[in-house]
Amino acid sequence: MAQGSAREVTEPVVPGPRQAKGNPVGPAVAASRRGRRTRRAPAWFLVPAFALYAFVVLLPSAQGAAFAFTDWDGLNPTRHFVGLGNFRDMLEDPGARGALRQTFIIAVAVTVIQNAIGLLLALGVHSRIKSRNVLRVLLFAPAVMTPVVTAALWKYILAPDGALNGMIAAAGPDSWQQNWLGNPTLALCSVAGVVVWQFAGYSMVIFLAGLQGIPREVHEAAAVDGASGWQRFRHVVLPLLAPATTVNLMLSIIGGLKLFDQVWVMTGGGPGTATETLSTLIYKNAFQFNEYAYSVALAIVLTVFVAVISGGQYRLLRRREVAAR
Amino acid sequence: MRSTHRLTAAVVAGVALAAGACSSGTNASGGSETLRIAAVATDRAGTEAVLKAFQVKNPKVRVTTSYSDTDQYQGTLRTQLSSGTAPDVFFAWPGNGNPAAIEVLAPTGYIADLSSRSWTARIPAGIKPVTQVGGKTYIVPMTFVGIGALYNEKAMDEVGAKAPTTWSELLAFCDTAKSKGKVAFALGNQTDWVTQLVDYALVPTTVYASNKDFDQQMKAGSAKFEGSGWNTAMTKYLEMNERGCFSKDPLGTSSEASVAQLAKGQAVAAVQVTSTLSQVKAQAPQGTEFGLFPVPATDNADETHMPGAAGGAFALNAKAKNPEPASKFIDFLATPEAMNAYAAATGNLPSIPNDQFRLDPALQPLVDYQKAGKTVPFMDQLWPNPKVQQAHFTGVQNMFSGKADPATVLRQMDKAYQEK
Repeated sequence: MAQGSAREVTEPVVPGPRQAKGNPVGPAVAASRRGRRTRRAPAWFLVPAFALYAFVVLLPSAQGAAFAFTDWDGLNPTRHFVGLGNFRDMLEDPGARGALRQTFIIAVAVTVIQNAIGLLLALGVHSRIKSRNVLRVLLFAPAVMTPVVTAALWKYILAPDGALNGMIAAAGPDSWQQNWLGNPTLALCSVAGVVVWQFAGYSMVIFLAGLQGIPREVHEAAAVDGASGWQRFRHVVLPLLAPATTVNLMLSIIGGLKLFDQVWVMTGGGPGTATETLSTLIYKNAFQFNEYAYSVALAIVLTVFVAVISGGQYRLLRRREVAAR
Repeated sequence: MRSTHRLTAAVVAGVALAAGACSSGTNASGGSETLRIAAVATDRAGTEAVLKAFQVKNPKVRVTTSYSDTDQYQGTLRTQLSSGTAPDVFFAWPGNGNPAAIEVLAPTGYIADLSSRSWTARIPAGIKPVTQVGGKTYIVPMTFVGIGALYNEKAMDEVGAKAPTTWSELLAFCDTAKSKGKVAFALGNQTDWVTQLVDYALVPTTVYASNKDFDQQMKAGSAKFEGSGWNTAMTKYLEMNERGCFSKDPLGTSSEASVAQLAKGQAVAAVQVTSTLSQVKAQAPQGTEFGLFPVPATDNADETHMPGAAGGAFALNAKAKNPEPASKFIDFLATPEAMNAYAAATGNLPSIPNDQFRLDPALQPLVDYQKAGKTVPFMDQLWPNPKVQQAHFTGVQNMFSGKADPATVLRQMDKAYQEK
């Protein structure tokens, strides 16, 4: 997101007509090239929008971020400047280190598994199987529900005497039944699983759009050249899906790093601190421990992580996209 | 053009609708005085009951109320106080330990000193310390809440047991329930605040029965959690778990699920806050009766003490925009009429006892212990910061997953206690 807006500022471009409807990433590159060639909009066109954005988003955020350098508890009228004290505390806080670890595990697991499943689903419903439109709707349906609602439902399903253990009891040996959210080793996997369940359909839709954008002629040409099914997928489909992959990986890694709702509803960060993420830790510090300034410092660290990781990933993938063209 | 007009109209309608939907409820009665009140959602019924009685006597006062869940309430209240937009009278917690407790709020000067009011003399000695900061009273305590084992009388009859009065009897009770295909105690340790209840039920006996000054000694630095009766309580908590006293997989069971187990009689009892009784009754089959027993921790029944504390309370905004009706309302809250209406609506006891209150017979043991001076305030109400309680929650969950022992947990609580 931050990348997109930064690019708009430095390279003001009048969007081509295809950009509005077409593939979200591919044509944007084409449009920007076209835009540069044809006509550039004057930069001052941005002033009103930027002024509003600065007033509503940038200024309050900067004011909020300034609290990270104080000892404010969120209530007391007086506060003192403490420099980088809160950031130093973070280094010594085992809770923060643990939360950081869990956040990365969840973000990576969700990104990899969600996109792998999303791609498989997209390939599945892109084929000519019957009732594929019904399947598309069904697979996408979880993504339109509020995360809090799905998490609350899953909390019941994953309870010790919940539906999942009930099904396992009916089908297999009792030892397969698990304390899905109560076992510290399993809880993180369970949370990640629920996130994947909810958003795999979302990745699927983006991959599907990418698949539908691949011209039939390319497939036919490859087939004529004697490429096998796997070779066609590996050397034709996958490279042409690069823009869709970029979008999917970006969205899922950002979502994974910011994860809050599902964790909060299903485990509250527990058992112990087994599923604590940076977001739940920020919430607890600000609203339960009266450590407002410390929580702002944590939030700044989270923002920097998200920006660096997603920015780096974006550059890497875009380079691959161009190479694939 | 026409579509633009339609769009504008739709936007205007949308904004108007949103503005209407987002404003809070108003009990208008067409007077000139206005009073703004905020409370937590759990105490809505009590607040509404008192307001109804208040408005009969003060028909000219317009009242605006807003209610929200605990977490959200605490955050909103703090923001409103620091930005000067807080309600005139608002719900606050006694003692310390959470972000909207009076020890946290009073030093900032945002809440009014109520020491000069005549009703402060009637606050029972057992809860007085948690209504005061630096010797000044800052809240009207509304309810008296206990923690004990709520039990399903039908399930108790089915297993052929009776309420245990000693530790040995308690363990035998667990065995009896188990042999009859039930569990003795439902336990929902997935919900963080539930994790503390068994410790809270045991600690009055293992710590405070022999040392009433434990809190003062903690404050002075001459006592620690580690090596105290807290260790005994936590060890007993784990012993109960190993003995099979609790329902299956407590860490995966939520508070709601454990309440349902008790209501349906799958579990004979549950160590809970007495205010949960109304929730349990609402879920139980018609005609199910419930009782309460204090949780014994030793083999001498006379030593058993019970946690009993001021529950909800109200504070007066020091910078109230409508000081006169606000002050009138605060005084009204302290009358037996308001106390009883509030207690009846929330399923609690009134904090200032009076003869007119009709008690739920299930809560009789709590009254008896209160009268005998055998109640102890909830431990966190006298802790210096909310992190001690959080360390306790996390620690109990870690103990139940085998990742910590009582000594480690108590060390972490000591560490949190020493923080500012």
